[in-house]
Amino acid sequence: MSLSAPGRGWRTARITALSDLLSPARLAGNAIRMTVQVFLVLCLWRALYAHTDVTAGLTRSMALTYAVLAVLMLQIRRADRFAARDHVFQHMHYGTIVYWYLRPLSPQRYSLWRGVGEQAYGFGWAAAGYVACLATGVIGLPSSAGAAAAFLMTFAVGQSLLYYLGLLTDQMCFFAIKNASVVLIVKFTQNLLSGAYAALWFFPAWFRSVSALLPFQYTLGVPLSLYIGRMPAADVWVQLAAALGWVVALAILTRLLWRKAAVLISAQGG
Amino acid sequence: MHKPAAEAQGPAIEARNLAKVFRTARRRTGVLGVVRSLVAPEMVATTAVAEVSFSVAPGELLALLGPNGAGKSTTIKMLTGIIVPTSGEARVAGVIPYRERERNARNVGAVFGQRTQLWWDLPARESFRILRDIYGTGQAEHAARLRELDALLELSAFWDTRVRHLSLGQRVRCDLAAALLHDPRVVFLDEPTIGMDVVVKEQVRRLLRHEVEQRGRAVLLTTHDMTEVERLAERVVLINHGRIVMDGTLAEIRTRFGEGWRVHATIQGPAEPCPQGLAVLGRDGATVVFGPGAENPVTVPQALKLIIERYEVADVRVAESDLEDVMRAAYR
Amino acid sequence: MRAFVAAWQVAFRIARMGFRAELEYRADFVISIALGVFWQTSVIVFVAVILGRFSGMAGWPSQAVFLIASMRMLSHGVYALFFDRNYYLATLVQEGRLEAFLLRPMPVFRQVQLAVFPTNAIGDLLVGVAMFAWSVSIIDLRWTALRIAYLAAGLTGGVLVEAAVSTVLASFLLRFPATSAWHSWIEELIGTFGNYPLSFFPRLTRIAFTFVLPLAFVAYFPAAVLTGRTRDLGVPPAVAVAAPAVGLAAFIGARLLWKASLRRYTGVTG
Repeated sequence: MSLSAPGRGWRTARITALSDLLSPARLAGNAIRMTVQVFLVLCLWRALYAHTDVTAGLTRSMALTYAVLAVLMLQIRRADRFAARDHVFQHMHYGTIVYWYLRPLSPQRYSLWRGVGEQAYGFGWAAAGYVACLATGVIGLPSSAGAAAAFLMTFAVGQSLLYYLGLLTDQMCFFAIKNASVVLIVKFTQNLLSGAYAALWFFPAWFRSVSALLPFQYTLGVPLSLYIGRMPAADVWVQLAAALGWVVALAILTRLLWRKAAVLISAQGG
Repeated sequence: MHKPAAEAQGPAIEARNLAKVFRTARRRTGVLGVVRSLVAPEMVATTAVAEVSFSVAPGELLALLGPNGAGKSTTIKMLTGIIVPTSGEARVAGVIPYRERERNARNVGAVFGQRTQLWWDLPARESFRILRDIYGTGQAEHAARLRELDALLELSAFWDTRVRHLSLGQRVRCDLAAALLHDPRVVFLDEPTIGMDVVVKEQVRRLLRHEVEQRGRAVLLTTHDMTEVERLAERVVLINHGRIVMDGTLAEIRTRFGEGWRVHATIQGPAEPCPQGLAVLGRDGATVVFGPGAENPVTVPQALKLIIERYEVADVRVAESDLEDVMRAAYR
Repeated sequence: MRAFVAAWQVAFRIARMGFRAELEYRADFVISIALGVFWQTSVIVFVAVILGRFSGMAGWPSQAVFLIASMRMLSHGVYALFFDRNYYLATLVQEGRLEAFLLRPMPVFRQVQLAVFPTNAIGDLLVGVAMFAWSVSIIDLRWTALRIAYLAAGLTGGVLVEAAVSTVLASFLLRFPATSAWHSWIEELIGTFGNYPLSFFPRLTRIAFTFVLPLAFVAYFPAAVLTGRTRDLGVPPAVAVAAPAVGLAAFIGARLLWKASLRRYTGVTG
C-alpha cells in the first residue's frame, strides 16, 4: 500500500518549517530579526532621501517600498541549513549523502520537495511581514493594477528561478567546494546582484548592464521594480521571457549536474 | 507477521567476482606541478577490491571481517549500489543495486557507522514519519513496526527529543529503527555499534537476532567487535587486501586459524593413556590440558564425554581459542 | 615575558601548519582569497554607489564616510585574522572536538582561533589595506603624530570591539546552538551599518548602535574624533575619544564571560 506522490512529499517539504516551528525561541528570533532589519532599512533610506525627492527615477515612497519589500523577499530563502546540519556541503563532509541514494525518493525529487517547502515557509514570513507593513503604512500598494499583475507574474517565475539558483549552489558542493564560507559568499553575491541590498537603479549603468546578463535580478529586482512602477508594466513580457529563458537553461544544467553527481558519488563512494 | 520461505528464494545478497579500482589524480607540488595536474592530471590506480565473491541467504547473518583498508567498506558500498564496480556483478534480492536504484531501495535498509540519516533538528519520531511517507508504508503497518522496534530498543524514552540532543547510543538505535521501518528484506550494517556501551550493544544484538530469526531478513554486518561476531554470526567472511581469505562458519575459522579447543580437567591419577581423538597438551599439577588429537580429532562435546568417562574429574573448564588471536592470525 | 613570547611562537607554528594544510588544496585556497576580495569590493561598491547618488551623509562629505568605511574594513580584516573562528566554533561543538581542546594546556579560546587557518581574512585584509590607504590619501586632514597615533589606537579599538561582540556570541553559542543565526546576522549588521556616520540615523538607532550593539565604537567614533565632527554623537566627546579604551574593556569583559561560559560547558550529550 503506497501513498500517491503528493502525499509522499509533503512531510519532506515541511522539514525546514517544522524545525523552526518546534522552537518558540527560533520563531521569536526570526520575527525580531526581520522587524529590526525592516526598521533599520527604513531609517537608512528615509535619511538618504531627507534632502532629495527623486533619485535614479525613484521617489521617496518608491524607494522605501522597494527597500522594505526587498528585506521581506530575502526571508523566502533565509533558512540556515548549516545550523540544522542539513546543508549539502555538510552531507558531503560527514558522508551522510549516501542515504540520499539509498531511498526510493531520488535525490532530485528530495531536493525539489525540500526547496519547495522551504520557499513556501519563507513566503509565509514574507507575507506576514507584508501585511504588517501595509497595515502600518510603511509601504504602499502596487502603483497600478497592471503593475500588480506584472509583479505577480514575474514574482512567480522568479521563485522558480530562485529554486534553481539555490539548487545550482547546492550542486556545486558535490564537485568543487571545500570551504564552507564559499557558500556564504555566493549567497551574498546573489543577493547583491539581485538588487536586495540596493535597487539596481542606483548603480552605474555598466553595473546594470552586467546584471542584465545574469539571472539574479529576475528573482527580486525586476518584480519589485514592476511593483513600484519604476519599470513600466508593459515591460513585463520582455522580462518574463528573459526570466523563463534562464529557468529553462538552469533546469537543463541542473539535470545534467545531477547525473554527473551520481557518477561522481558512484566513483568515489561519497 | 511474515516469514518468507527461505528455501524457495535465491540468495538475498550475491556478490560475483566484484572488483573495484579507484583512479585518483596525483597531487603534485610546486607551481609547475599544480598547473600540470590541472591540465593533464596523472591518474593513479588503487585496487580497493581485487575479487570478492560470496552470498548471503535469507534469514542469515553474515559477518564481514577484515583489517582496516581491506576493502570491507568498498564491498558494502558496491552491494548497496553506491559505488559501481569496475567488474563483476552484485545482486541484492535479485536486483542489481546500481542499475535499479529505486527498486533496490525498497528491499534494502542500511546503517553506516556513525553517519545518521535522521534529521538533526527534528525529533526521531518525526524522522520515522518522513521515512514512512518516503517509502510509502501504510499507517497501520508503520505503527506496528514501530511498536515492535520500541519493544526491542526502548525508543519511546527518547524518540520525541531532537536528534541533535541524543547520545550516540540513542541515535544509533534510532538509525537502526529507521533502517528497518520499511520492512526491508536485506539489511547492511557497517560498524553500527562502534563507540557504544555494553548495554546498548546487547540491545542491538537482541534486535539483530530477532530480525534474522523471527523476520527472516538477510543481514550483512561489518564489525571489529569479536564478541558481536561470536554472538551473532553463523557465517563469517574474512577479507584482506581486497580478496576473500576465508568464507565459513566460526567453527571452521577457529579450526583453520586458531589452535582449536582446550579442555582443562582436574583429574586424579595419570593422564596417559589418552582417549582416541584427544591429545594431552600439557599438565599443571592435577590439571591436565587436553586438545584435539592429531588423528580424527573430536569435537568439544565428544571430548568432554570421553574425559568424564575415562577419568575421575574434579573440575573441568572449556576454553575456545580467543577469537581475537584467531583474527590476528587470519589477517596476516 | 618569556612565557608570552613562547606562547606566540607556538601559535605562529600552529598557524604555519594550518597554512600548509590549506595550501594542499591550492585551487580552493586561491578561490577563497579571490572570493574574499570580491565580497569586500562589493561592499565598497555598495557604499560608493550610495555616496555617489546621495552626496554626503548628515554633513559628512564622501571622503569622511570612506574613512569610516575603510577603518571598519581594515579593523575587520585584522579581526578576521586573529579572532574570526567563531563560525567554526559551532562545528567544533557539534563534532565534540571542543572536549579535546579542554584537555590541552593552551587556552581554549586560542585553540579555537588556531583551529583553522584564516584564509578568508587574507581577502578581507587585501581589500581593507588598499581601501584604507586610498581613503587616508584622499581625505583633507593634516596627519600629525598625534593624529596618526590616535588612528592606530582607533583601529586597534575597532578590532577589539568586533572581537568582543564575537566572543560574547561565542559564549552563548556554547550553551545555545541556535545562536549561530544571530551571529551571522549581527556580523552582517556591523558590516553594513558600520560604514555609515551614525548621526545620519534617528536617535533610537543611534542609541541602539552605541549601547546595545557597540557598532559606533568600531570606526565611527574614532573617525569622528579625527575629523573633528564630535557634535552630534549622542555621547560626550570624551567617550568618543576613549573609544579604543572602551574596546579594550569590552574585550576583557568578553573574555571573562567566555571563561565563565566554558566552565559551565556541558558538551555534546552522550
